[in-house]
Amino acid sequence: MTVTSVRRRAQRRGQAVSSSAGQQPPATSQAPDASMDLLNQIIRQPVDPDYALGAARGDNSSGRRWTLGVLALIIGALFAVAALQTTRTAPVLQSERSELISRVQTAEGEQDELRSRVTTLTQEIATLRAAALGDDDTARFVESQINTLDPVVGNVAVTGPGVLIVVDDSPSAAADARDRVLDIDLQVLANGLWEAGAEAVAINGHRLSNLTAIRSAGDAITVDYRSLTRPYRVEAIGDLRTLQAGFVESSAGAWWNDLAQNRRMRYEISNVKQLDLAADPGIVLRRAGKASS
Amino acid sequence: MIPLLGLIAGIVLGVVLEPSIPQALQPYLPIAIVAAMDALFGAFRAYLEGIFTDRVFVVSFISNVLIAAAIVYIGDQIGVGSQLATGVVVVLGIRIFTNAAAIRRALFHA
Repeated sequence: MTVTSVRRRAQRRGQAVSSSAGQQPPATSQAPDASMDLLNQIIRQPVDPDYALGAARGDNSSGRRWTLGVLALIIGALFAVAALQTTRTAPVLQSERSELISRVQTAEGEQDELRSRVTTLTQEIATLRAAALGDDDTARFVESQINTLDPVVGNVAVTGPGVLIVVDDSPSAAADARDRVLDIDLQVLANGLWEAGAEAVAINGHRLSNLTAIRSAGDAITVDYRSLTRPYRVEAIGDLRTLQAGFVESSAGAWWNDLAQNRRMRYEISNVKQLDLAADPGIVLRRAGKASS
Repeated sequence: MIPLLGLIAGIVLGVVLEPSIPQALQPYLPIAIVAAMDALFGAFRAYLEGIFTDRVFVVSFISNVLIAAAIVYIGDQIGVGSQLATGVVVVLGIRIFTNAAAIRRALFHA
């Protein structure tokens, strides 16, 4: 399009604006599409008519170029700020996240409720058992045996001082599968703790008993068939004076020293004043008989 | 040339300074931007047709942005804010497309 034709079109547009006697049909009340006036106007007059009027008046001062620059600056800043804010706030993500959080909290509440129910039922069982045992010498002997063995086998929750061992894959685990913590490493760790005199052991909150299985399933390590997430926190209740030293000197301590030194796995061991280990929910009554009385 | 430089400088400034828009004004920012785009496309088309004037552009830009924001603000007050925002976007969108088509014709003769 040449400059003259541009000028001509502009003049034509100016005429159409100033007087409705142009080539375009005037939007009067007689027009068949009068009700569509708004859309017609939007489509036919997309450029501000003032441009044509200003051009017709010869209002083309180039001295105000800086106002244009300032305005362009403002527009650019508007774009940038809006884009930044949209990406930063991300309200959709936020609402999804808060919904997930509320769901997690609900589930946790349910879990707490169930757990407290388990505790009540366990107490009930203990009461019933005491009532059933009666009150003679044999019964008292059985009772004391139960009290000694319950914490050891993991049947009741226990609290006490102990050591906390945190282990994790080495940073290069993605490159070399040998740098990952394996099920046998955790098995050695747990056995070492038993050997060092631990009275109760839990991995990531799962209490270990004689029958607990520590196995690999796919990429994850499972304890009692429940998957663990890294890092692995092994808690052991026992005598603070001997437990840590006994573990470090045991073959399990040597095993883990080797892993930490040569495979650069995370291996942190520390004494803790108080550990709370829950009971192993996997313990069920396997054999029962009537006490000989 | 000056407007283009200004636009780029504005984007850079906005990204670097990250000015925080007051919470009360945040809903009107997108609408203001759509209005600004409309004014920009209209100005570019006028420029291609040889009838561009700074004064008209400045006045139309500021009034467009303010009116668009005001419409949405009033809509918010009477409970139809999102509908009015849609209306503003539709109308300005039509204008932007029409102007963009005219610009395309003028630039590429297609």
